[in-house]
Amino acid sequence: MMASPSRAEVLSLFRSLLRTASKFTDYNIREYSKRRTIDGFRDSSALADPSSVAAAFVDGKFQLEVMKRQVVVYSLYAPDIKSVMEATSP
Amino acid sequence: MAAAAASRFLRRAIPAAPIRRLSTSAAVAAETSLSAPSGEDEARVIEMKGVKISGRPLYLDMQATTPVDPRVLDAMIPFYLSRYGNPHSRTHLYGWESEAAVEAARARVAALVAANPKEIFFTSGATESNNISVKGLMRFHRARKRHVIATQTEHKCVLDSCRHLQQEGFEVTYLPVRPDGLVDLDLLADSIRPDTGLVSVMAVNNEIGVVQPLEEIGRICREKGVVFHTDAAQALGKIPIDVEKMGIGLMSLSGHKIYGPKGVGALYVRRRPRVRIEPQMSGGGQERGIRSGTVPTPLVVGMGAACEIAMKEMEYDSRRVSALQDRLLNGIRARLDGVVVNGSLEHRYPGNLNISFAYVEGESLLMGLKEVAVSSGSACTSASLEPSYVLRALGVDEDMAHTSIRFGIGRFTTEAEIDKAVELTVRQVEKLREMSPLYEMVKEGIDIKSIQWAQH
Repeated sequence: MMASPSRAEVLSLFRSLLRTASKFTDYNIREYSKRRTIDGFRDSSALADPSSVAAAFVDGKFQLEVMKRQVVVYSLYAPDIKSVMEATSP
Repeated sequence: MAAAAASRFLRRAIPAAPIRRLSTSAAVAAETSLSAPSGEDEARVIEMKGVKISGRPLYLDMQATTPVDPRVLDAMIPFYLSRYGNPHSRTHLYGWESEAAVEAARARVAALVAANPKEIFFTSGATESNNISVKGLMRFHRARKRHVIATQTEHKCVLDSCRHLQQEGFEVTYLPVRPDGLVDLDLLADSIRPDTGLVSVMAVNNEIGVVQPLEEIGRICREKGVVFHTDAAQALGKIPIDVEKMGIGLMSLSGHKIYGPKGVGALYVRRRPRVRIEPQMSGGGQERGIRSGTVPTPLVVGMGAACEIAMKEMEYDSRRVSALQDRLLNGIRARLDGVVVNGSLEHRYPGNLNISFAYVEGESLLMGLKEVAVSSGSACTSASLEPSYVLRALGVDEDMAHTSIRFGIGRFTTEAEIDKAVELTVRQVEKLREMSPLYEMVKEGIDIKSIQWAQH
């Protein structure tokens, strides 16, 4: 079992996830990724058991890798026209 | 864009009369291409089928299909790139790695419904699973079992399979539902005969979202020794399903309703006591002879990933979807009267809100709501102007059935989208009611049910 991550490591992961999430070109995916990151860290902040903290950290690292790849895929195929939610209202 | 410009040029260049056919096909091509006029970004509009919108509509049609989750796509891509092996190839690495991925996906689907992986068979979707269940089971037992029970609110593919069986000489009881959309359990128990082979009840209705009492139905079927089939396409990953607890014998599942890819589904077939079915597809005997045809590894991997995510996220998603449903319903009710929710509000999957707006014509409302992607009911029948047969089975009046709109909320729906949908819906309903003589009469206190429309 790996050791519990330090506070600095957790914060750095949180920031990386949020920064990557905000790069999604798709409105819904971007909003979801940001929201899920924040809610996920909020829920995990209650974890006391070191092994579950470590597991949550490993999962977060994995999600970051997935997100980094998908940000690229989404940007490659971004539609010309964005969602009405981000279009400047006439 | 070059193609669109070329076709526009062509249309102008070609003389109108003699080559009409050519010019109309060019016009169609120009019409269906999303034309973004060159210039500033804010000037960009989508033009398709004569509708102009300033952006892609906000999507509230999650019962028709859901967007693919990026985590699902991430799992699928390797199987479109280097891992392209046929999972049935036994002689090389390509086949082995694909087979391992398919089996891992099978285990994930099974885990989500508390089944054994050996009870899960991959198909092309819930429609195929429903066909195999209904026709396959009855044809296998054709010597002794001659009767099927299905509710009137089943999906078209179940009802159509039943109709097929009728032509083969089987008898079918189309079970009516109560006004709230739920099955009357006593009526169901009374309808079961000694030669009944199958009871088919949809877990979550696609049009009105009501959740049937699966455990009670399963218990009745178990007591009477009848196989219970449920179409759980809309239920998977949204409400907890336990095939053991619910006494399910056959179950149809779909990939694209749970943020997975389109074109893949699964069929659950109970092993103990064994439910036997006759395959409806002949071929190489894949999926243990139940469903021949090469298993599409990328799609199956996607469905497996979608199930794994659904299992992890079910609680989080359902908390959120419930809150958004409340926000939508309260937002509309606070500003409009004559709003009726179709189907039970209590026994309901909150991601499906089917509402009727009195004195408004549904199709006009849908046309007016072009910035919101919603539908009046099932996507399969959204081309027809007929009111939904599901709403009619509930006993909803013809005029109210014509005004229904189904709002589908999902994992990726935001609060801002709900607020915008409320705003646009309220505005459009008010506009249509202002034009409606019926609404004026009601405001004056005339009971429109008492009006004699035709003189005989």
